[in-house]
Amino acid sequence: MTRTGTGRWRSTFATVLLLLPSATWYALLLLVPLVILFVFSFGGRAPEGGYLPDFTFANYRELPTRSTAFINALWMATGGTILCLLVGFPLAYYLATRAGAGRTLLLVLVIVPFWTSFLIRTYAWLTILGNNGIPAWLDALGFGHVVLLNTPFAVLLGIVYNYLPLMVFPLYVSLERLDKRLLEASKDLGAGRWATFRQVTLPLCSAGLLSGVILVFIPIMGEYIIPALLGGGKVFFIGNALVDLFLQSRNWPFGSAAAIVLILVILAAVTVYLRVGSRGGQTREISLL
Amino acid sequence: MDRAQFQNLYDDFRLGRIDRRTFLKASGLGMAAAIIAACTPGSSAAPSAAPSAAAGGEPTSADWSPPKGVDLGKTLYITTWPNYHNPRTIEIFTELTGVKVELNPLGSNEEMLAKLLIGGTGWDVLVPTNYTFETYGSKGLLEQLDTAKLPNLDLSRYDQKLLANSEYPKGSGHHYGFNKDWGTTGFTYNKKHVTKPMTSWKDFFDLAQTDYSGKVTIHDYQLTSIGNALVYYGYSFNSVDAAELAKAEELLIKVKPHLFAITSDYQPPMRAEDAWVAMTWTNDGAQLHADIPDIEYVIGSDGGEIWSDFYAVVAGTEHREAAYAFLDFMAVPKVQAFDASFHKAPLVDSAGIALQSDEVRGNKITYPDAAQLSKLEFGTAELLTNEARAEVWARFKSA
Amino acid sequence: MTVPAAAPQRAAIDRAGSWVDRGFRLQAAVLYLFLYVPIGLVVLFSFNAGDRTGELRGLSLRWYQRALEDPFAMGALQNSLIVGAWTALIATTFGTLAALALQRTSRSVRAVFDAITYVAIIIPGIVIGIATLIFFVNAFGWLNPQLAAVWSAAGLGAPPTIGTGLHTIIAAHALFTMAIVSVLVRARLAGMDRSLTEASFDLFASPFRTFVQVTLPQLRPAIITGALLAFTFSFDDYVIASFVAGPGKPTLPMYVFSSIRRGITPEINAIASMVLTVTVTMLIVVGLIYRRSSRITAAQRAAEGADAEVTAP
Repeated sequence: MTRTGTGRWRSTFATVLLLLPSATWYALLLLVPLVILFVFSFGGRAPEGGYLPDFTFANYRELPTRSTAFINALWMATGGTILCLLVGFPLAYYLATRAGAGRTLLLVLVIVPFWTSFLIRTYAWLTILGNNGIPAWLDALGFGHVVLLNTPFAVLLGIVYNYLPLMVFPLYVSLERLDKRLLEASKDLGAGRWATFRQVTLPLCSAGLLSGVILVFIPIMGEYIIPALLGGGKVFFIGNALVDLFLQSRNWPFGSAAAIVLILVILAAVTVYLRVGSRGGQTREISLL
Repeated sequence: MDRAQFQNLYDDFRLGRIDRRTFLKASGLGMAAAIIAACTPGSSAAPSAAPSAAAGGEPTSADWSPPKGVDLGKTLYITTWPNYHNPRTIEIFTELTGVKVELNPLGSNEEMLAKLLIGGTGWDVLVPTNYTFETYGSKGLLEQLDTAKLPNLDLSRYDQKLLANSEYPKGSGHHYGFNKDWGTTGFTYNKKHVTKPMTSWKDFFDLAQTDYSGKVTIHDYQLTSIGNALVYYGYSFNSVDAAELAKAEELLIKVKPHLFAITSDYQPPMRAEDAWVAMTWTNDGAQLHADIPDIEYVIGSDGGEIWSDFYAVVAGTEHREAAYAFLDFMAVPKVQAFDASFHKAPLVDSAGIALQSDEVRGNKITYPDAAQLSKLEFGTAELLTNEARAEVWARFKSA
Repeated sequence: MTVPAAAPQRAAIDRAGSWVDRGFRLQAAVLYLFLYVPIGLVVLFSFNAGDRTGELRGLSLRWYQRALEDPFAMGALQNSLIVGAWTALIATTFGTLAALALQRTSRSVRAVFDAITYVAIIIPGIVIGIATLIFFVNAFGWLNPQLAAVWSAAGLGAPPTIGTGLHTIIAAHALFTMAIVSVLVRARLAGMDRSLTEASFDLFASPFRTFVQVTLPQLRPAIITGALLAFTFSFDDYVIASFVAGPGKPTLPMYVFSSIRRGITPEINAIASMVLTVTVTMLIVVGLIYRRSSRITAAQRAAEGADAEVTAP
């Protein structure tokens, strides 16, 4: 269907109109705040806290003092993602290939816990991991006194608990699209289960894998509530450091610098993931979900 | 005295030119004991008509009524501390005025200041601690008390030394708040599990690393946690000296792996016996002891903090009339006594204290002996904004 | 055309299969247990006759009663529902529109939008929360005097003042969720069968009609998923809401968090259980309707299929 001159103009007009709402939203509520942060990051700290107009690189130079918090987050994000993968992949695989008719229900059951408040769910873990919960049983079973709460273990547990559905979902979608005939063919050609898995299943669900990893890793990097609630102040992520900088020490310029660097690091990580992931030969667009 | 004079005195003390006693006396910090003696029931400063039975019970419309002809509006936002108000007091206020009250508990004065600085909070009434008035005053964050709107407030009944904290500028007589209560920062321990004697901050930090490792909490609050670590070494609670702060930081980092948690919400773990020792404020200590008698409250024999919290009106608040009505309501001695029956912090208004029952006034946690308070210090204004202490705290949290 | 493996080999693979099967089922069962034990505890303690979460002292419904009568709790719940619904609406609409538009733009525009979308998705909640709040406060601080000037110039009486409130939460939530929706819809569009759209144009349907009757139905799964995700995210978000919310109108997560400060009572558990029950019921209802309609369509197709078989040569 050809388009005349006015037709093309109208078409462009229509495109602009369609794009305008989102564009305005992004501009006002994402770009402008980010610019503000950027400007603040070069500023000075007012004596009672807040922003003082200034131009200095001091804040960026100071950033290494928060490197521990950053590394903590990185560590946990990586560990949490790997755990979610190890735990979530079998479940997704099971649901996608074996569960039969009940699988939609089972899939939905994975996401239903999301509909209780995240805070309440995490608080429930406080009871389970606290003195009257699992440690009490372990004590009774003769394992002696084990401290589970306010440890990195508790935080990791909380992370896996809260982010598992985000890993399972894209994996499921990707595995579900798998053409079962390919699996059949592989089996018919005498390939064992493991070989089939490695050479057929895994490559074909790489998009889902990538999505899952990104969906889990990124939010954990910015997480601060789980370490605050389950870490008892002893586990300190870069997210907690940011909250401290803005809401306690009120060092906005420093906080802004830390925030900007965090965003850049995450952006870099995502780009690397995607490049590496699509290296596997498929040139189609990798969608995030 | 102004900051320069204080600094001179402090330098003298540190350089050994004057001894601790003289320093405390001259700086007025040691006055804490004297003040408290005045505030403590049974002293001569209390009014003579003190009934032995509590003249308490719920306040009613006979005790207070809203100002006539003033539209109080429908809502009021009070930013305060956790477990600090008797819910029933709030309910009664709503019953008498029709104003819905929203309590907004925060974790620290730093957080309060941070949010106020960002702006647009919508808060009406604030409950700031004594050392914040200098900063709030200089930034114009609070409104000078309009005493015309507070007929039930009689500042002469309040201990002047405690009240003076809310003056801005110092000595001007312009008050930006009046006292709600006062208290100390000590620690609680559960004697069911804690058998070693614990009387000082030295005991607290030492035993945290040995016998009670994994069972101790400190405040998520630089003022008290750093302050008490300084006291451990015999330094002033308010020190901002770099060398002393470095030692305090070292101690805190050494203790950190042995802590159960760094939290200002220590009641749940103490109640669940996840923690056996906690850095605690008076009112929480009294509440815990009342519910669980095994939990004892201790004021460190080597020092610590004495503080006072105030009611104040946020500058530019939308619900000014309701804010003043609430403050006037809380200025009524009977209401204070009723409120205190829940939060269990000691009162400042002598009329309020007079109305409390003998049992309450005899509670050694709520109203400690003056002798225990002699080494305690009020937090100084500069601690709220001091960058060195904030950095020490941030480094400690990240460690 | 398959080349069958030797029968015994195949049987061995299948037999090993059943063990693996059992392994999978066990793993899934354990996982569901892991997911639901905390939920179970939450529900259990909502029936606590005692005063605290964590010590069960008999069963009673009093906390449900308390929750339903508590104006603050119910208000917070209502606020969360309002915010969630609006967020889902705005995010779905604008996100879909953007996805459609991006199909028609040049590569560079697409790249720019991709970058912005990524940033919107990856930016940590607390960063965008703080930054947005600072923006709002300054923007309103500038805007309100202008409004006052305009209003008084026009003699309209008391000018409106803009502050933080439910609308600012909706704005902030919609940003993130809009990005998610646009990603979902774009992915779906990319995988869509173009031949149907082309056929529609070939049959002289207007672009609008093509969109409504051909494109939209195919996008429906992505749009619905997007809407659900947007609502869920908004409903459960604490971090962003805690920064940009206005005074006096907390969302449910904000109310829960301040309860943790106040001393958590089983009332919170009761609220959580009620929300859970409602959503689960809704899901069951939707599931049943879906099952019924698909059974009907299946029956219809079977009937048509039978006819076709009869008529085919």
